[in-house]
Amino acid sequence: MGTTASQLGKDLLSEYQELTFLTKQEILLAHKRFTELLPKEEKNLPDTRVPMERILTLPELKSNPFSKRICNVFSTSERKDGSLSFEDFLDLLSAFSDSATLEIKSHYAFRIFDFDDDGTLDYGDLEKLVNCLTGETEETRLNGDEMRQLINNILEESDIDKDGTVNLSEFQHVISRSPDFVSSFKIVL
Amino acid sequence: MSIYSNGGVFNLAYHDSETLEIDKRSSSKTHSNPYARETPAWWGQRSGVSGAAARGAPQDGWQRESWRGGESIPMGHIPTDSGRPPWQHSINHSTFLVDHDSQFVQSPSVRLPSALAGNMSMRWRGMTMRRMSLFPHAHPAHAAFTEEVVQSEMENEEKNLVKELVAMSMQDQTRAIRALPMSFEEKKHIRNQVLALKSSNRSKKFTLLAEFSENASLSLRRCGYGVKSAKQTLELWQGIMKEIGGKFGSSVLTYFLFLKWLLMINIFSFLVNFGFITIPLLVHEPSPKVPSNVKFRGLEFLTGAGYFNYTVMYYGGYSNETVGVSVEYDMQLAYFFTIAVYMVMCGLVLIFSMASSFKKNYVLADPSSNGAWQLLCSWDFSITNERAVRQRRSNLRVQLKESLSEKAQRELLTLSEKLKDFGVHLGCWVLSTSLAVGCGAGIFFLCQHEQQRVSDSGSWSPAQEAETLLVPFVVSLMNLVIPLLYSLFNKFEHYSSQRKQIYALVVRNVGLRMSILGVLCYYWMNVVSQSFSCWESMVGQALYRLVIFDFIFLMLGSFFGEFLSKVIGTKLQPNLGLPEFDVARNVLELIYGQTLAWIGIYFAPLLPAIQILKFLILFYIKKVSLTQNCQPPRRTGRAAQMQTIFIFLLFFPFFVGALSIVAYTAWSLTPSEQCGPFRGLNNTFSAVGVWIDHLEDIPGSDWVVWIYQNVIRSEIFYFLITIIILVIMYIFWQITQGRKKLISLLRQQIVNEGKDKTFLLDKLQNLQKSQPKNAKQRKQKGHQSLGSQSNSSAVVQALLARQQLEEEDERQSTSVSSPSDVSTSSALIQATMARQRAEHLPHTAIEPPSNHDALARAMEARQRAENEERNEYYSTDFSEIQTNRPSAVAQAMEARQRSEREGGLQQGPSSTQNPAPSGPSALIQAMLARQQAQNEYDDGY
Repeated sequence: MGTTASQLGKDLLSEYQELTFLTKQEILLAHKRFTELLPKEEKNLPDTRVPMERILTLPELKSNPFSKRICNVFSTSERKDGSLSFEDFLDLLSAFSDSATLEIKSHYAFRIFDFDDDGTLDYGDLEKLVNCLTGETEETRLNGDEMRQLINNILEESDIDKDGTVNLSEFQHVISRSPDFVSSFKIVL
Repeated sequence: MSIYSNGGVFNLAYHDSETLEIDKRSSSKTHSNPYARETPAWWGQRSGVSGAAARGAPQDGWQRESWRGGESIPMGHIPTDSGRPPWQHSINHSTFLVDHDSQFVQSPSVRLPSALAGNMSMRWRGMTMRRMSLFPHAHPAHAAFTEEVVQSEMENEEKNLVKELVAMSMQDQTRAIRALPMSFEEKKHIRNQVLALKSSNRSKKFTLLAEFSENASLSLRRCGYGVKSAKQTLELWQGIMKEIGGKFGSSVLTYFLFLKWLLMINIFSFLVNFGFITIPLLVHEPSPKVPSNVKFRGLEFLTGAGYFNYTVMYYGGYSNETVGVSVEYDMQLAYFFTIAVYMVMCGLVLIFSMASSFKKNYVLADPSSNGAWQLLCSWDFSITNERAVRQRRSNLRVQLKESLSEKAQRELLTLSEKLKDFGVHLGCWVLSTSLAVGCGAGIFFLCQHEQQRVSDSGSWSPAQEAETLLVPFVVSLMNLVIPLLYSLFNKFEHYSSQRKQIYALVVRNVGLRMSILGVLCYYWMNVVSQSFSCWESMVGQALYRLVIFDFIFLMLGSFFGEFLSKVIGTKLQPNLGLPEFDVARNVLELIYGQTLAWIGIYFAPLLPAIQILKFLILFYIKKVSLTQNCQPPRRTGRAAQMQTIFIFLLFFPFFVGALSIVAYTAWSLTPSEQCGPFRGLNNTFSAVGVWIDHLEDIPGSDWVVWIYQNVIRSEIFYFLITIIILVIMYIFWQITQGRKKLISLLRQQIVNEGKDKTFLLDKLQNLQKSQPKNAKQRKQKGHQSLGSQSNSSAVVQALLARQQLEEEDERQSTSVSSPSDVSTSSALIQATMARQRAEHLPHTAIEPPSNHDALARAMEARQRAENEERNEYYSTDFSEIQTNRPSAVAQAMEARQRSEREGGLQQGPSSTQNPAPSGPSALIQAMLARQQAQNEYDDGY
């Protein structure tokens, strides 16, 4: 812990604290875990990125069905390969932390569920979402009829303007009425 | 479903319309990520802010063009909150280019006073929303140009944001920046800008005081972070909680959180009691006055009688003297006030946590949106265990399938089935109620039997002492067995929803526990208090035994309930599977235990110590039992709502019951003559009366006496308080009703707008079909900037105009239209999202007019423009910025002017002003106008 603290530096640490919802311990822990993911020779370089495959080896993300989406959403990489810098990683933890606001959480949740990155949850997104939730293999999937009925039910309930898609404000509306969301949208290192 | 499908879903144009839509892209997009990630590119360019002006002549051109004459527009009534009209950006922009600094400094004072926190966040949301839609799939040929426009637009947005942030206090500012849904880099960037601007502002009016307050707030903030970190380090059982949440999800975790919460309450209660009652007494007389014939036998741990009876464990062990050597310490008052304050504080804590939990989990929660909830927010991201994930997925699948089939089945219930269901429900209720009553009666007779056997002498033989264990044993046995029976009943009943099932179960269990506790309390208050010399201690002993036995049975329960059913489920009957952890039952057990502790606080002040030990051990036992024996719950209930119910239950029958028992004891029962702090008094409360009498002799304490005489003891005071509270409640109730009505109205409005939209789109398509000429041309789709309003007439108009422009666009695409936006937030659901698109279009201008007067003039202008257009065949790049003028007349004038200008410049089908009036009649007129335009266009072509 002492070494990581000195690595991060006091100013940087307080900046991280100011711009994320994380506490000092959480940031230090995150830094420790993050540097563990880096190969030895890159450990002391600033601004290194960890590729998505390595991020996904974290036990907190390993079995999460949305782990790839999470990486993609939080990655600021120019190559769109889902690799995370330390600051991206902090961003991720901050959004999933206990103290993050509902607004932040729902914003990121929406982006995670928006598989094709088009700004709305349309039929295809919802279908992918259902598959992620129930499992992707043939036998675990819902069949076509069930899927259609299910998605129509969802749209009927949440698509307020009846345009066939769920947009962010509609999504946030649903979320705001589901108090469990805040406690379940949580990843703790 | 049919109505819904007939709506706009299959209408492609619908998806490009504006009301609630953020953005809808076709698959051939050039930017794969529409969110705010492109920003780093333009940060680099922001150093040359002024350079933006000179960047592109065409851009400059259109800006000046559009603002020709725009400076004279009165700005006074511009809404400063979320609904910024589209052209306000442009004003900022143009002035900004001219005079950067002055704009920056003076602007916050204009805008910010009205910007409340809620408003702000709304705005930012709108802004980031727009931002993410700022990158449509621009046509490659014009991408560069579009980007410039987009960049300048985003710079504006950011400037506004920074300005807002600068005007905030330091704390708000940090919080606000932290809450921006942007990446870390962007937040840092914004923060740096804010800080830079702040320091530049400050250098002008530098004062020592500002510097000092700045430093102070900084160090205060650092200190706050430190406290937060320390708090987190001290958090109890953090790792275990994470493990449980990771394996079993948040609904099981609520049990453990509840357990921890109760533990905290008990620790507090122990500290208070021990500190204010026990320690002073122990200082006064360190060793208890135990009669010589009473020896410690070990059985006391179970029965609480014998040796314990003479210690500070019970009421009887305390003296009524004023203890203390140098300072006087009145034991009577200390005892009374400690317990009173503790009870009041518990009540307050419960009320506050209950109220906030209700607000969060009930008022906002909507029971109807079950399916959407199941999908959109049910995934527990905290689950990390591979097996748990698999299990959860399969559970969710089963649940989804069930809910689908349930939905299909629900309508098919016949009358006879309904009657049958009702009969089963009635039978179960009757049976469970009679069971609860029977238990109560049984306990009562058992208590009477015990009372005849037990003598009032100080010392009991071991056999006598052991006999006292009968009642707590039976009570705990009932508490263990009867709920199992109730669960069995529940299997036979058919409930339409899982929640109703749980509620029924909870209500029955609560009824059982209440009847048992009620009978016991009745017995203590009426029988024990008459027949024992030191009856408070006897009651304390009985409670001690109940607490101990409750603990033993909880352990047995988790052994038999969970371990045995695991063995059965894995070895004997594999189809049963592993047992689930029954959160509701376990929480009720905790609540029951806590109620015993509350009742006992008067009779045995150190009972919380036992309770603390009990909860500590229970936590680990339950944790081991859970991880070894149980599987994650099959159904993912709404954990937060259940938690609210539990807190409510803890408060309402249980805490209130305990409080009234204690209050009754203190006010109405005569304390025992020979022991305890209140010996010799008529009732406990008269200790206060004695104290007040004593105070009357002391000068300077008149106000205490006055309060006692005129407030505490006056009926009028309570009468008035009650009246006031009732009135306030009534008013709040009325407000709630009004809000409910408002919500339903707003909802209806949104739905109506959706309907309007689909209707219009259908109409439009019909029109299009009747003139299919243009449809065969190139499929180059053009988007254009649209100013949308939450008003449905605006939608109509925008759609019409869009349609028309798309047709026109098929012939010409050389220029770009200016982006514009309106973000209008409707009260509740943010009915409209602001949106911006940069596109390539020849000539567009859509003007949402706000007045009927505009109609005639605009129509005229349009007509003329079209007539003139027919003669022209030379194309010139021409762009118009979209404007929205406050005055309808001005608008119409400008429209005319513009069309005249266009007429002189343009080739054939050029931009057409298409202002439609607001109001329903606008629709028809707009359509007619459109048709006409089309006809003319065809002729001209």
